[in-house]
Amino acid sequence: MGRILLVFRLVVADVRSHPAQAAMMLLAITTATATLSLGMSLRGATDALYLQTRAATAGPDVVALTPDGDRATTSALTSLAQAPEVTAHSGPYREYHTTVTAHGLTSAAVVQGADAAPGPIDRPLVTSGTWVRPGGVVVERGFATALGVRVGDRVTVAGRSLPVAGIAVTAGHSIYPGAQMIGPGGGPSDYSGLVWLSGADARALAAADLPVTSLLYLKLRDPSAAQEFVQSRRQFSEEHSTNFVTWQDMGERGARILRQSQPVLVVGSWLLALLAVGGVATLAAGRATKQTRRVGLLKAVGATPGLIAAVLLGEYLTLALIADVLGLTIARLAAPGLANPTASLLSNAAGPTGDTIAATTFLALAVAVLTTLGPTRRALRTETVTALADGARRPGHRAWLNGMSALLPTSLLLALRLIARRPGRAVLHALSIAVMVIGATALLVARVQSRFDYGLGSSHLGNVQREQGHRVLLAITVALAVLAAVNIVTITWTTALEARPVMAIARTLGATPGQITAGLSAAQLLPTLPGAVVGVPSGMFLVLLFSPPNVAIPPTWTLFVPALAAPLATAALTALPARLAARRSIARTLSVEGA
Amino acid sequence: MNEFGAVLQVRGLCKEHGQGQGLVRAVDEIDLDVPAGQMLAVTGPSGCGKSTLLHLLGGLERPSRGEVWLAGRRIDTLNERALARLRRRSVGFVFQAFHLVEELSARENVELPVLLAGRSPRAARRRAATLLERVGLADRARHLPWELSGGQRQRVAIARAMANDPLVLLADEPTGNLDTAATLDVLRVFEELRAAGQTLVIVTHDERVAATADRVVSMRDGTCVDDTRLAAQAAGGLGDMFGLGE
Repeated sequence: MGRILLVFRLVVADVRSHPAQAAMMLLAITTATATLSLGMSLRGATDALYLQTRAATAGPDVVALTPDGDRATTSALTSLAQAPEVTAHSGPYREYHTTVTAHGLTSAAVVQGADAAPGPIDRPLVTSGTWVRPGGVVVERGFATALGVRVGDRVTVAGRSLPVAGIAVTAGHSIYPGAQMIGPGGGPSDYSGLVWLSGADARALAAADLPVTSLLYLKLRDPSAAQEFVQSRRQFSEEHSTNFVTWQDMGERGARILRQSQPVLVVGSWLLALLAVGGVATLAAGRATKQTRRVGLLKAVGATPGLIAAVLLGEYLTLALIADVLGLTIARLAAPGLANPTASLLSNAAGPTGDTIAATTFLALAVAVLTTLGPTRRALRTETVTALADGARRPGHRAWLNGMSALLPTSLLLALRLIARRPGRAVLHALSIAVMVIGATALLVARVQSRFDYGLGSSHLGNVQREQGHRVLLAITVALAVLAAVNIVTITWTTALEARPVMAIARTLGATPGQITAGLSAAQLLPTLPGAVVGVPSGMFLVLLFSPPNVAIPPTWTLFVPALAAPLATAALTALPARLAARRSIARTLSVEGA
Repeated sequence: MNEFGAVLQVRGLCKEHGQGQGLVRAVDEIDLDVPAGQMLAVTGPSGCGKSTLLHLLGGLERPSRGEVWLAGRRIDTLNERALARLRRRSVGFVFQAFHLVEELSARENVELPVLLAGRSPRAARRRAATLLERVGLADRARHLPWELSGGQRQRVAIARAMANDPLVLLADEPTGNLDTAATLDVLRVFEELRAAGQTLVIVTHDERVAATADRVVSMRDGTCVDDTRLAAQAAGGLGDMFGLGE
């Protein structure tokens, strides 16, 4: 118990003495785990939300739809209710194909005549306002969100202005914008929304000679056998021009909305994890000297290697686990909105699954272990006296690079020699830039894809699937850019801190502060160039890997934008830390630090 | 140099740290002239301000008051850029902790100031070879600092300080980390430099090292308390002085 308490105290003391580094590590790992959790949660998330909505609204197992509303049609539909597999039904109801306008936005819509008291199957859940009443319209929630209408607003249905009495969700139709399950006259369906009117108001639409569809909701004895039920009614379907839509079909149609988002999130989480590894590795390397001295102190007072390893790894593992919990919590909060972008479904789904928790925890711990194991092992192997004296890892001698740099102007000479000190860090830096450019390239490709909007004769409402994909891609790209920026500043600052004595010596020998500043900045800029060059084709490769064959490619010149922006951003981000490092007193640096 | 031949001149030099009750005068009203070719030793107990004085002379720190002149040019008013250029051409530094760049070989360390001065890599290489030969380390040119002994490292540091033929060489406790034999090696190099007319200012608390100089300035509490010109070195030379046979 005493040992655990001691380790805990040492870990807490270390975190408190490095709050900025701890915060940066939390940020990096949290972003990666949240994104991975979201990516994994979206797999089947819409199905889960659909099932939840279906349970709450007594959703049908099968919807039978026939283009027409005459007596023979409805009679034929009603006969389906007598099938032995059917245990309950509602309808037949009539749907009219028309347009709905609100706030200057127009969209195709189906208008369903509804009973004041819904039948046993499909009982839409009113989420605000009231159910249908004469002279009032209830708007399906996804459609209402797209139109921006609330209870009390007025909408125009088939040319008639009506107040919105309520907003409701249902599992009796595919989610917005797929409410029209068959098109007018049985033709191909187009994207549209759903509204309900009272029976009398709906019948009034019949006078306007609008295309009509009759539909019947069926509950089966065995809901899982819905497809078999439909298969066995093939002859009926042909004889009566009847289409069947099963509950599984409706769930699958809803999931299509997330088809662009899910791969973006999963691939984005890999890239963010790479950045997290880069950032945390830089932090760990930057702290290696102090950690080694700390190990020397602990050894000197009799700490065992096991206890020391527990202290060193404990801090990173604890922070990684906290970041994991934060990431999972953020994903839990964000998932419903992401999985239900149209708001057509109820969205209080359960938290992440065991698989997701295991994957994010593995990711967080892997980032921590991968980045800290090396410095920890080195620190443990260092002799106590050596560790106490100077824990800095001796930089390698790279004669060819030093020789080459001798041919260059002073700033580039200093930059190349700084890179030669820690080439691994330059590789990490190039990797950060490549990852950021990959995200920016993907965003560029997404922006040039042709716009496709919904609605018959309407271009007012956006394409939910496309917008959702863009939003997710934008969020991932911003996260990549933020983490890459944090990494650049961290790497610059760590390099500047480590190179302080060397830079002080260079100043003693006559290097000007301007040359030192330029050298530190150039040491970050040089790895940026290969990172940017590799990032663009890698981004294109990833986009093409997850895109349909007919994906549009942006003009070549636009691909140079992220490749050029990366060095500019690096120059801007490194200017201040490099300048601050170059202004430090030479005498103070040399008197407190050995080169 | 001024009309009296002083390469370094200091007038009313003060360096203060802290404020109010915590004010410390590390250097307090020092006047000093160092003629060209002189080897000056600055001695005194730890914390008396010797190193601070050396930093002020070389432009590594700025004085709180007073003037520092190098070869007839006032340097305490120069900006950082101008000071850097001045150090590049006119001042060489040697430190107790050597301060060699760990990842550069002995030759590359000596080449560095030559390259910083804008000379060609070939010229830098030639200059480094000459200087390493002069300090007796031609066969150690490719060695990294940690592969050299303390005395060898300090001789590399002296070669580096001499790379651009400075007007003055400033050495801060150059033998402070060395054993007697290594100290002797370093002092021999200084002796050769003095013989060649190099101006040297050496800060030391080792009286034997101070005894090898032309002149000894003693400091206490930031001020000069004694200024003694020494006669020519004893006939026995450095070896006898350090108890080692030549």
